[in-house]
Amino acid sequence: MSCEHEEDLTAYVDGELPPPHRARVEAHLGTCAECQGTERLLRLTVARMAELPDFTPSPSARRELLARVDALPPTWRERFAQLLKPGVLVPSAGLAGLASLAVLTLLVAGRTRVEAPALEEWDPGALEVAANLELVEDYEVLGLDSSEDLEVVESLHELGMP
Amino acid sequence: MDWDPDTQAMLKVAAGDKQAFAWLFDRHHASVARFAYRFVGDAARAEELTQDIFVKLYRHARSYKPTAKFKTFLFRVATNHCLNEMRRGEYRVARLTEEAPVEDDAGAVQMPGPDGDRPDQALSGRELEAAVGLALKDLSDRERAAFTMCRFEGMAYRDIADALEASEAAVKSLIHRATLAVARRLEALQAGTVPARSRA
Repeated sequence: MSCEHEEDLTAYVDGELPPPHRARVEAHLGTCAECQGTERLLRLTVARMAELPDFTPSPSARRELLARVDALPPTWRERFAQLLKPGVLVPSAGLAGLASLAVLTLLVAGRTRVEAPALEEWDPGALEVAANLELVEDYEVLGLDSSEDLEVVESLHELGMP
Repeated sequence: MDWDPDTQAMLKVAAGDKQAFAWLFDRHHASVARFAYRFVGDAARAEELTQDIFVKLYRHARSYKPTAKFKTFLFRVATNHCLNEMRRGEYRVARLTEEAPVEDDAGAVQMPGPDGDRPDQALSGRELEAAVGLALKDLSDRERAAFTMCRFEGMAYRDIADALEASEAAVKSLIHRATLAVARRLEALQAGTVPARSRA
């Protein structure tokens, strides 16, 4: 069964215990043979790690990494910064201004256009005129707004009068 | 404010300075590669992971806050990347040498014994490497990360806690369990055979 101080032993060996805690572990080590054995084993193991062969990375790693970084697509910040350069910003702003003006004009024109009344609201005479526009267009008659006027025009047409 | 050179360089990287990035790479590349190697146990994969970690560092340089030591920040990125890769299953912890032992029918690992028959004789570098590799393979990911930062990078428990985003008490426990597991593995090797798995 493990001693209650066992978990402190690695931190003790690593010099990671605060002084009061360290003193308690040292006092315990003076009386516990099991912990003395574990401490020796831990110290030996820590020392052995320094004997391991070092891992040497490939010498081409730097060149490969910098090539990868160069090939990265620009971030949105970089793209935004690119847009703010004067050579790009000024013409872009001009184009954007023109586009905005065009959109604004269309909007204003759309709002000022008179809405046509619904079909059922039209005067019956005007409807008849509209239905016979082909006939009316041959005559320079303005202000036709009733079926009576249309009858006049129709009569003129039958008479072959322009 | 007076930042240390690493932090100053990282702030320059955040502003897009690639020379500062190359400088940081030169200073820390070996550490990260060593960490990745101990983590996955395969040289080629360690190189790949190291490249990925530095690319990530470059891409996320703007989110770097100079509140922690640069090395701690770097190892947080490295640890998270290695852990994520392990979880995604792209990397498996490999045996550290081609001469790593294999399990026999009884589930025991036959290790090459120390040169000569004396159990107290020192292990050769390759034997030691194989034994440590197997021991690390048996550890949990967080134990392996903590052990590697502590034993091979000499990082303090406080910095390891920052890198792992854990408490110091948790790190103390992780390092103790990992060191003891490696110690037991080496001890068993001295005796001639190593259990297939040192932990349940």
